[in-house]
Amino acid sequence: MGTVFEFGSFNYWIVIGLMMTGLYIVIAANNYVKKIIGLNIFQTSVFILYISIGKVSGGTAPILTGQPETYSNPLPHVLILTAIVVGVATTALGLALIIRIRSAFGTIDDHDVQETSQDN
Amino acid sequence: MKQHIVLHLIAKMLIPFIMLFALYVQFHGDYGPGGGFQAGVIFGAGVILYGIILGKEMALQVVPIKLVHTLAAVGVLLYTCVGVAGMLLGGEFLNYNVLLSDPVAGQHIGILLIELGVGITVASVMISLFFSYSMYQHPDGPENN
Repeated sequence: MGTVFEFGSFNYWIVIGLMMTGLYIVIAANNYVKKIIGLNIFQTSVFILYISIGKVSGGTAPILTGQPETYSNPLPHVLILTAIVVGVATTALGLALIIRIRSAFGTIDDHDVQETSQDN
Repeated sequence: MKQHIVLHLIAKMLIPFIMLFALYVQFHGDYGPGGGFQAGVIFGAGVILYGIILGKEMALQVVPIKLVHTLAAVGVLLYTCVGVAGMLLGGEFLNYNVLLSDPVAGQHIGILLIELGVGITVASVMISLFFSYSMYQHPDGPENN
């Protein structure tokens, strides 16, 4: 077994799996709500990627104790805390846009919307 | 979904525990994993579950939409007030050390109030998002929706 299959890279395999799942759903799904769900899965994989990078093995919380210590990098964690909040807002915005598309076209299917807009 | 007796009963049993867990995450955030964001979302999820299972009319009786909108602002106000209180007591904005005579106790009460403000706002915004979507009326009428 090479180094890439060690348990230490487990997080990154999960990231790749989730990212590809999300990307596939965004491309393959015709339903707009399913596309939003795919985007959310993709987003989750990016969260896990950043949090995994920030972890330093054996590191503690970044609190000053007076003596030198190994600590995990807090910056990616704070960045992702913000990204989670922004993710909720963008999901809400996407769903609101879908509601407007539903009122305008009477459908939330990608193909149907494109056909309707070409007819007009 | 009122006709689903199992869903109804399980939700009724779970919702108090969801809210209790939210309060635990909120107030244990000083010492363990947790804090306002997570607690707010868990608390909001409890109310949203109630709304999904029993219908939005019942949920609106428990948490009126005006109360939700007011609380969303009250949380931000609480956050700002703690910050300004630090300035009035001679420190910088959001300096917790000056809130009480003991700096460590001041830090405890400061972060507790800040996280409470965050939690109230996040829970209210989550609930109001749910209500905004569930109360949307389609222009053609509900039968085509």
